[in-house]
Amino acid sequence: MATDLVRMEGIAKSYGPVTALDGVDFSVRENEIVGLLGDNGAGKSTLIKILSGTVTATRGTIYVRGQQVQIRNTTDAIRLGIETIHQDSALVTQLSIARNLFLGREPLVGPAILNRMDKRMMNEVAGKLLKEIGITKDIPATTPISSLSGGERQAVSIARALHFDSDLIVLDEPTNNLGVEETQGVMRFMRNARDSGHSLIFIAHNIHHVFQVVDRIVVLRRGKVVAEDVDPKQTTIEAVERIITGLPGD
Amino acid sequence: MNTTMRPGSILVRRLVATPEFLPFTLVAVLITVFAVLTPNFLSQGNISNLLAFTPELGMIALGMTVLMTSGEFDLSVGSVFGFTPVLMWTLFNEGVAPLEVSLVIALIVAVGIGFVNGWFVTRLRIPSFLVTLGMMMTIRGVALYTTSGFPQRTWRAESWIMDLVAGTFYIGEFRLYASLFWFIGFALILGYLMTQSRIGNWIQAAGGNPVSARARGVRVSLTKTWLFMLTSFLAAYAGITSSIRVSAANPNSGTGYELEVIAMVVIGGTALAGGRGTILGTVLGVLMLRMMRNGIVLIGVPGLAYNIFIGVTILGMMALQSYLARRHPTGSG
Repeated sequence: MATDLVRMEGIAKSYGPVTALDGVDFSVRENEIVGLLGDNGAGKSTLIKILSGTVTATRGTIYVRGQQVQIRNTTDAIRLGIETIHQDSALVTQLSIARNLFLGREPLVGPAILNRMDKRMMNEVAGKLLKEIGITKDIPATTPISSLSGGERQAVSIARALHFDSDLIVLDEPTNNLGVEETQGVMRFMRNARDSGHSLIFIAHNIHHVFQVVDRIVVLRRGKVVAEDVDPKQTTIEAVERIITGLPGD
Repeated sequence: MNTTMRPGSILVRRLVATPEFLPFTLVAVLITVFAVLTPNFLSQGNISNLLAFTPELGMIALGMTVLMTSGEFDLSVGSVFGFTPVLMWTLFNEGVAPLEVSLVIALIVAVGIGFVNGWFVTRLRIPSFLVTLGMMMTIRGVALYTTSGFPQRTWRAESWIMDLVAGTFYIGEFRLYASLFWFIGFALILGYLMTQSRIGNWIQAAGGNPVSARARGVRVSLTKTWLFMLTSFLAAYAGITSSIRVSAANPNSGTGYELEVIAMVVIGGTALAGGRGTILGTVLGVLMLRMMRNGIVLIGVPGLAYNIFIGVTILGMMALQSYLARRHPTGSG
């Protein structure tokens, strides 16, 4: 049986009088893609923000590989191997692909006082990574992010997570605003990431996208988990939609 | 249809896409036009004059380039340019300290002003426009109040440091100032910093997407604070250079430099909104505006018309750069 990579227990979050999360238990196992679904205001984003360090929980405990951890900010999350990729890709559009991939962890060459980046190595690794992740177009690693399509930007973000061995990649609405082909590309990148030993959380409004790629579905409603371990192969989209809305079927 | 591009064509496209392409072209055009209209433009005496004043504004522009790349700017540079030499010469003239020590104290105070700017912007999260506007008025006010508006004398001083900072020497009949070499040195160091170093990557990221940069572990606030200190240091050094060259420390000097310097930086290809900056472009921008000021006087256009040329040049350059950036995006290597 697969072990838990990340486990969140009794997570609660309130914004003043509004309760966003109310004692949520959520886990991601090694080497799987979990679909996190829920209607607007269900608490998906808050849960993910807590995991990625942009929001701190009012109550609850987080474990990574069985060890209790504190995630106070995004740097903590990245250090623990949790990388979050948002729909508006967290890249610096003015910088090249290679410079983005290594941002904050640029390899240096020569005497330390010169603080000189190993640009040759950065460009080589970036080029290799883009091919590995399945970008077939010949895009030089020196290309600025601003000239890439939405799908290619997501691919660069995923490549970055893969290269720095993020154990858990959280994709928050990664297919929003993407065309059909680009969406399929992102799905392929996700499968490749899982097949190379990573775990992923996939959040999307488009339930059809989720069904195509995830191993397991967790549903949140009004700040609580209402279904977990839903196997997309054993159920239908309509059934999951009923769980999300809480309305009885026809 | 064959869409394969020839290597020569790719090279041209890349060249056109660089932010330095436009300022370089315009500098070449200006030299040609002024040289044709007035042969005096390329005379030894005129070039020497041009190179005497250019490094002073140029040094401020270099600091402003890295600061603007990080997404901030500093309106207090003109006041620091005026105040620092006043402080240095007051300390010396009042017998508080020898000139060398006075210079070091004045530079440290300038760095402190930069630190305060950075602290207000990064810790209190007040826009740099407001913080440095306040600092601009405060520093200028201190300079004017402490001197009652009178220049400080400098002509009694004799020190090796004056030669080191702004000494003159001759190559044949060609007079050069040491400040030119300081300017070239600072430009080379900052050019390296921006294009080759990890810090340069952080500076661009801090200006391009600070939230993302922070998430990647880039110390955005610290980087910006250092850059405010660097900008203040360079403005102070330029002010001290100027005071030695003109043999006076005027509390009013540097008035209006902040906007002229920002114009030089933007014309050179640095993005006003941050994220993209070029030291080579700034050097070209500085040369361009100085040549324009010099050239239009030489060909007989009233000096008061200078601002019209600068304004039209900024508008034209921005329009062209926006057009080229959309057609030929370029990478950061």
